[in-house]
Amino acid sequence: MSANVNVNLLTPEFILAGMGLLVLSLDLVLPKARRGILPWIGVAGLIAAVATALIYRWDRVEELYGGVFIADRYSLFFFAFLVILGGAVMIASVDYVKQHIKFPGEYYGILIFSILGMVLMASAGELLTAYIAMELLSFSLYVLVALRKYDSKSNESAAKYILLGAFSSAIMLYGISMVWGVTGTTFYDGIAAHLTANPDLDIGLIVGLSLIVAGLGFKVAAVPFHMWAPDVYEGAPTPVTAYLAIGSKAAAFALILRLFSEGLLPAIEDWRVLIATLAAATMVLGNLVAIRQENIKRMLAYSSIGQVGYLLLGVASLGVVDAGGAVVFSERASTGIMVHLVGYAVANLAAFLVVAVVYSRTGSDQISDYRGLAKKSPYLSLVLSVALFSLAGLPFFAGFVTKFYLFTAGAEAGFLWLSGLAMVASLVSLYYYLRVIQRAYVDQPSEGDEETAVERSTFFVPLTSWLMLGVLFVGMILIGVWPTELAAAADSASDALGTVRDVSTALVR
Amino acid sequence: MINEAGSWLIIGFPLASFVIIGAVIRPFFNRYAIVAGYLTILAVAISLGLSIFAFISVADAGGNIPFESREWLSFPGLVIPFGIMMDSLTVLMLITVAGVSLLVQVYGLGYMKGDKGYAKYFAFMSLFTASMLGLVLSRGVIQLYAFWELVGLSSYLLIGFWYTRPAAAAAAKKAFLMTRLGDFAFLLAILYIFTLGDDLLDIPHLYEAAQIGAIGATAATWAALGIFAGAVGKSAQFPLNTWLPDAMEGPTPVSALVHSATMVAAGVFLVGRFFPLFELSNEAMNTVALVGGFTAVFAASMGLVANDIKRVFAFSTISQLGYMFFAIGIGAYVAAFFHLFVHAWFKTLLFMSAGSVNHASGTFDMRYMGGLRKVMPFTYATTVIGGLSLAGIFPFAGFWSKDEIFAHAAEVDSPVGWIVLILGLTAAFMTAFYMFRVIFMTYHGKFRGGVDKENEDLRAAGEEIDEAHATARVHLAESPWTMVMPLLILAVAAVLAGYLTNPTAGYGIVDQHSFGEFMTENHQVFETHEAAVHAGAEPKFNYGIAFLSTLVALSGIALAYAMYQAKLISPANLTARFKPVHRILINKYYMDELYEDIIVRNIFYNRFAKRLASFDITILDGVNVQLASWTRRFSGVLGFIQDGQLQTYGAVASAGAVVAIVIFLFWA
Repeated sequence: MSANVNVNLLTPEFILAGMGLLVLSLDLVLPKARRGILPWIGVAGLIAAVATALIYRWDRVEELYGGVFIADRYSLFFFAFLVILGGAVMIASVDYVKQHIKFPGEYYGILIFSILGMVLMASAGELLTAYIAMELLSFSLYVLVALRKYDSKSNESAAKYILLGAFSSAIMLYGISMVWGVTGTTFYDGIAAHLTANPDLDIGLIVGLSLIVAGLGFKVAAVPFHMWAPDVYEGAPTPVTAYLAIGSKAAAFALILRLFSEGLLPAIEDWRVLIATLAAATMVLGNLVAIRQENIKRMLAYSSIGQVGYLLLGVASLGVVDAGGAVVFSERASTGIMVHLVGYAVANLAAFLVVAVVYSRTGSDQISDYRGLAKKSPYLSLVLSVALFSLAGLPFFAGFVTKFYLFTAGAEAGFLWLSGLAMVASLVSLYYYLRVIQRAYVDQPSEGDEETAVERSTFFVPLTSWLMLGVLFVGMILIGVWPTELAAAADSASDALGTVRDVSTALVR
Repeated sequence: MINEAGSWLIIGFPLASFVIIGAVIRPFFNRYAIVAGYLTILAVAISLGLSIFAFISVADAGGNIPFESREWLSFPGLVIPFGIMMDSLTVLMLITVAGVSLLVQVYGLGYMKGDKGYAKYFAFMSLFTASMLGLVLSRGVIQLYAFWELVGLSSYLLIGFWYTRPAAAAAAKKAFLMTRLGDFAFLLAILYIFTLGDDLLDIPHLYEAAQIGAIGATAATWAALGIFAGAVGKSAQFPLNTWLPDAMEGPTPVSALVHSATMVAAGVFLVGRFFPLFELSNEAMNTVALVGGFTAVFAASMGLVANDIKRVFAFSTISQLGYMFFAIGIGAYVAAFFHLFVHAWFKTLLFMSAGSVNHASGTFDMRYMGGLRKVMPFTYATTVIGGLSLAGIFPFAGFWSKDEIFAHAAEVDSPVGWIVLILGLTAAFMTAFYMFRVIFMTYHGKFRGGVDKENEDLRAAGEEIDEAHATARVHLAESPWTMVMPLLILAVAAVLAGYLTNPTAGYGIVDQHSFGEFMTENHQVFETHEAAVHAGAEPKFNYGIAFLSTLVALSGIALAYAMYQAKLISPANLTARFKPVHRILINKYYMDELYEDIIVRNIFYNRFAKRLASFDITILDGVNVQLASWTRRFSGVLGFIQDGQLQTYGAVASAGAVVAIVIFLFWA
C-alpha cells in the first residue's frame, strides 16, 4: 500500500493553521494599542489561503492519505465559501470585539482555527477525519462562546453548549463505531460499496446511522436536537452567534452532503423518510416558536432552525430512484443546498451584524427596542429589512431564488408535500420577520423626544460595519437577480459529488 | 460596428450617473448640486454618441445586428432570456430618446436653478433616461417589461417631484395607478405568450414563430390586445387618458421629456416592437386604428378650450399619439414611427417654450399672458415654428409625417381606413386651431399681468393660493441661454426632420424614401419587399390629400386668428351659445368624475369593497384570529419545553435519537 503523501496539496490548510498560530502569538508581543491590526492580518491570511487554494487546486482531483482527505471541486467550493464566510465574520466582529472583548488575539486566532476545522469537514472522505475536523470546529466554538467570561449569560450558554456538545459527540462516535463494526470501514466510498452489496440493512448499521444522524442533528440544530441553540445563541457574543448560526451550520452541511451523497446514497430509500421527518419537524417547530420570541437573537435562532428544515428537505431529495430501481444522484438537490447555504449565509450575517451594531448602541437585543430604527438609522433598517425579506424568501432577494432551487428539487424527488409544507413555513416566517420591520418602520421612536434626538445624533454605524453591511446588501440583491454564476459554481461542485473520482493514486481499500 | 458591450454602455452611462448622484453627490456634496446636472449631461451625451454609432452600424448591417440571447434566470422548465435587440426600430428610438433627453437636461440646468431638489431631479432624470434606453434595447419580453415598469416608476417620481404640493402628489399617484391598469393586461399577455411556447419570451423567436405561422390568429388577437392595453395606459389613449393632463404638475422639462417625446411614445414603440404579432390579427389591428383615431379627435377637442398652456400641449400629445396608433393600426408602420420621431422634436420644443413663458410670466394660465412676443423673441419664433410643424403646414416636419399617415389611410381599402381618415382630418383642424389659439393668447395682444394678476383674482374669488403661485414672480425677459439654445436646436429639427422621408425624390445627401427603407430593412420584421412596401417603405406623395390637409389646417389657423387676434368672433359669445358643449369639454368629458366618483367611490368602494370588507371582518378575520391564537398556543406549548434546563434538553434529544432509530427501523 503506497498512500499518496503529496503534502503540498495541503498548503492552503497549512496557511490557515499558520495564520491562526501567528495571530494568537502576535497578541502576546503587540502593544495593546496596536492590536487593532490583528483581524486585518488574519483577513490577509485568509485571502492568501483562498487564493492559494483556487490557483493550486482549480482543476485538481486528488486524494491524500488513501482517501482520508479529498481535494476536488466540491472541497474547493466549500473551501472558498467557508473561508470567505469566516473572513466576513472576522471583519464583522471588528467593531464588536473592540468594544466588548478583552482578548482580541485569542478571539481571532481561535476563529481561524475553527475555519480550518470547517474546511476539513468538507474535504474529509472518512468518518473519523470528519469527526475530528468537527471537533476542531466545536472546541474552537466552545471557547468563542465563553469568551466574555465576566458575563454570566455568556458563561451559562458556554456551559450548556459544551455539555450538550460533548453529549452529541459521544452519540456520534458511538454511531461511527457501530457503522465500523458492521461494514468494517469508515471510508465513505467503502460504506457505499457495502450498502450496494448488502441492500438489506443490518440492525447495527441502522442504529449506527441513526446515531450519526442524531449527532449531526445536534450540530445543525435540527429538531429535536435543537434545544441548546436558542439559549446558546442568546448568550454568546453576537458575532459568535452569527458564526454559530452560519459557519458551523454550513460546515456541518458540507460534511452531511458529502457523507450522504458519497457514502449513504445507495440506501437512500431507507433513510430518506427519517430525514424528511426531521426536516418537517424542524421547519414547523422552528418557524412556529420563532413567532413568540421577544429577543431578536432568539428569534433569529429559531428562524435559523427553520432554515435547517429547508436544507434537510434538500438532503432527503438527494437521490431519485429511477424506473430500473437504481438510485440516481440528484444534482439539483445538492446544488440547491449549496446555493441556499450561500444565500442564507449572506442574509443571516447581515441580520446579525445589524443586531450587533444596534446592541452596541442601545445595549438591548429586545425586538421592542427596534422601534423607530428607520428614523434613527435608515441604513441599518434598510439592510435589516432586506436581510429579513431574503430569509423569508421574497422575490428579488437571495432567499427567493435559493429557496426556489431547493423546493423544486424536493418536489422533483417526490417530496411534494414537504415542499408545500416548506412554503407554508416560509409564509409563517414572514409574519415574525415583518414584525421586526414593522417595529423599525411603522412604530414611532419611544416617547421622550429629547432622548430620541440624542440617540439620533449618536446612532453612528462604525465604518467597518458600514462597509461590510454594504457588501452583504449588494450580495443579497445580486444573488436575487443574478444567481447564474453562483449556481454554475455549485453545479460544478455537485458534479464532483456525483461522479466517481478518477484518481490515479487511488488505492484499493 | 457596435458590439454588445457598447450597447449595454448606452444604458450604463445614465445608470451610473443616477447611482453616483444618488449615492455620492446628494448625500455628501449637495452643496455642489450643479455637478449633478453636468454629470447627467455628460452621461446622456455619451449615450447619444453611442446611439449614433449604433445607428450607423445598424444601417451598415442591413437593419439588424443579431446579438446573443442570454439566460437571466434558468430554472427547470423556465429560462428567462435577456439581451440586446439592435435593429432599425431600436436605433431610431435610441436617437430620439438620447437626443431629446440631452437637450432637456441642458434646458433643466437653467429651469431648475435654485430648486432644493436639484441633485434629486437630475438623479431621477438619469434613471428615467437609463430605463427608457433599456426599454428600447430589450430583447427579452420579461426584460422589456422590467424596463417598462422602471420607466413608469421614474415617471411617478418625476411627476411627484414637488411632492409637498398635494396636486403633484395626487397626479403622480393617479398616473401610476392608471398606467398600472394597462400594465396588468400587458403582464397577462406576457404570461399568455409564455404559455404558447417557452422560447417566445425572446423577441426574435417570437418574430420567427409569427412568420412561420406557429401562432394562431385567435392567440395572436388576445396577446396583441393585452399588449395594446399596456400601450394604451402608457400612451394615455382613450379610455386611460385622464392621467396625462394631471401629470403636467411635474417640472416642465419633465413634461417635455417624459410626457411628450419619450415615455408616452413608448406605447407606440411597444406596438411596433410586437408588430409581427399584431399583423396576424385583423381584429387587433382594427382596434388599434380605431382607438387611435378616436383618441386623436377626442383629446384634441379638449385642447380647444383648455386655458393652461401645458394642458393644451398635453391634450395635443394624446391626440398626436392617437395619430401614431391609427397609423400603425392601418399597417403604416413607417408613417407611425416617422410621426413619432418628428413629433418628439417639435413637441419637446413646444413644452420647453411653455416653460420659457412660465419663466417670464410666472404662470401657465394663458388668460394671464399675452404680448410676450416682444420680450421673448427667440421663444416666440421657435414656438411659431413648432406650432406650424404641429399644425402640419408645408414645409415643416409635421406636414410630411401627417401627410404620409393620411396618404396611407386613403389607400387602405376598408371602412376602417375611411373612418380614421375622417377622424384624422377633423383632428388636424382642431390641432391647427388650438395651436394658434395658444400662440395668439400667449404672445400677441397686451400683457395681462401674469401670476400677480392671477393671484389677485384668486384672492378676490376667495380661493387659496398654493405654494407654487405664492412664490412665482413676473419677470418679463428672455430666458437664460441654457433654455433658449435647446429651443433653437429643436426649431432647426422641427423644420428639417421632415425631409428625411423624401417621398418625391432624393435631395442632397438624403436619398428618396431613405427613412422608410431604413425602417423596413430588418427582415425579421418585414420578410419580403412587398411587406416592407405595404408598411410604407416607399411612401408616395398624394397631392390631393396634401392639399386637403393643408386646407383643413389653414382654416383652423384662420379661425383662431379670427377669434383671438382679429376679434371678429367673440370667444365669449361662442362659449355662451354652445354652453353645454363647452362645459363638457372644459370638464374633460367628466371622465375624472366617472372614474373617481362613480366607478371607484360608488361602485367599487361602496358596493364591492364594503361588502368584501364585511366578509373580511366577520368571516376571514374570525378564522384568522382563531388560527393565529391556535398557532400561538401551539407555539407556547412547544416553547414550554424550552425551560433552560440542561437535563431537559439532553432528555429530549435522547428521546429524539430513540425515535429516529424507530423511524429508521420502520422504514428500512
